[in-house]
Amino acid sequence: MIRAIGRSLLLAGLVCCASTATAQVRIVQTNSGGDNIHLIDPATNAIVGEVTGVPINHGAAAAPDGRRLYFSSEAEQTLHVVDGKTLKTVKSIPLSGRPNNISISPDGRRVYVGIVSAPGAVDVIDTTSMERVRSIATKGGIHNVYVTPDGTHLVAGSIAGRLMTVIDAKTDEPVWTLFSEGVRPIAFEVGPDRSTKRLFVQLSEIHGFAVVDFKQRKEVARIMLPNDIPAEKVDKGPFNGSPSHGIGVAPDGQTLWVTSRPNARVYVYSLPDLTLLPGPIDLGGRPDWVTFTPDSKLIYIATENTDTVHAIDVTARKEVARIKVGKSPKRNITMVAK
Amino acid sequence: MLITTVAMMAAGAVFVEAASRRPMAGPEDELPDGEGKKILLSSCTSCHELTEVTKFRGYYNRDQWRDIVVTMMEYGAPVDSKQVEVLADYLAANLGKR
Repeated sequence: MIRAIGRSLLLAGLVCCASTATAQVRIVQTNSGGDNIHLIDPATNAIVGEVTGVPINHGAAAAPDGRRLYFSSEAEQTLHVVDGKTLKTVKSIPLSGRPNNISISPDGRRVYVGIVSAPGAVDVIDTTSMERVRSIATKGGIHNVYVTPDGTHLVAGSIAGRLMTVIDAKTDEPVWTLFSEGVRPIAFEVGPDRSTKRLFVQLSEIHGFAVVDFKQRKEVARIMLPNDIPAEKVDKGPFNGSPSHGIGVAPDGQTLWVTSRPNARVYVYSLPDLTLLPGPIDLGGRPDWVTFTPDSKLIYIATENTDTVHAIDVTARKEVARIKVGKSPKRNITMVAK
Repeated sequence: MLITTVAMMAAGAVFVEAASRRPMAGPEDELPDGEGKKILLSSCTSCHELTEVTKFRGYYNRDQWRDIVVTMMEYGAPVDSKQVEVLADYLAANLGKR
């Protein structure tokens, strides 16, 4: 009996270690002013791969097993399906209009593409057939679309429509809306079952973010970022109408990271209490999107006007590397290849 | 010989200084003048850098440029309906699909 338990533990240990050893983490950094995308190894903070031929790339998503990457091209108005190993485009799927950001369902079966062209839509791509299977009509062009971490809903933000639309992922039907302001990046706070508790929503012309209770379907707080640097050092922009345009909850759920373009900083809040932690991190440029390593040890922040990605130690809240990438880096994601 | 060299260096320094006083060529300098350029510089660059427009050089036809202008109007860009057509024409002519 003891021997059997020992064998089980050993086997479990082997499976665990093998799984950790074989999982390969990559930070995928788009370059919105070019046609290439960079892959960064967080173990070395070196660029270890490059996808080319995706002009004016916007959104990025990775299959859950890392076998495929997906990128929207604003220039071509297509979705590129890229092989995760060769980093070559295997198919370019025509979209219903000019795309912005994209998202993938947790099972990897669907990619959702925000269509910013009027009247606006969320294009639905079947990843098996690699075809656009439908377009969900929205009020206003869609800038960012997200799948909630539990896969039950889509959350689509419109700048033109000044609206956030929550869509049932089973029926593809809108179920509720919020805001009368342009909706920018959104971060998700989840419960132990991965269901959505709160959304942290960045809005046009707001140097901060709104807090939305997902079950109550309403805004419960609005938090402004500090004005904590000398006036002469404040960047006057322009900021594309969005002074704060990068936000993320660390995978361990302990902290919320929010970027400021005027202050060229990232601010950190503890969760769930939303207390501002001391020691914002100076980035020396206009920060944009953020992404974390799965172990919550590092956060990567793109500063689009310096063509740089900053790697920051989450616990120490200190920058550990600056990585030069392509032209005008913006959206980024974390890929785990299994 | 020494005097000639020093004189050439001084002349070179003057040239370099004069050149450095000249404003750097920006993306706006690559675009021809016209009513469309005036609208572009007054209505678009208050929100974003001009490179956010010029990066699309060669990709869009007139309808696609017009779609972008309309989207930006919906975002709040101060462009009236008459200016939409002028700007779409200008963008298609100077940054349009080849």
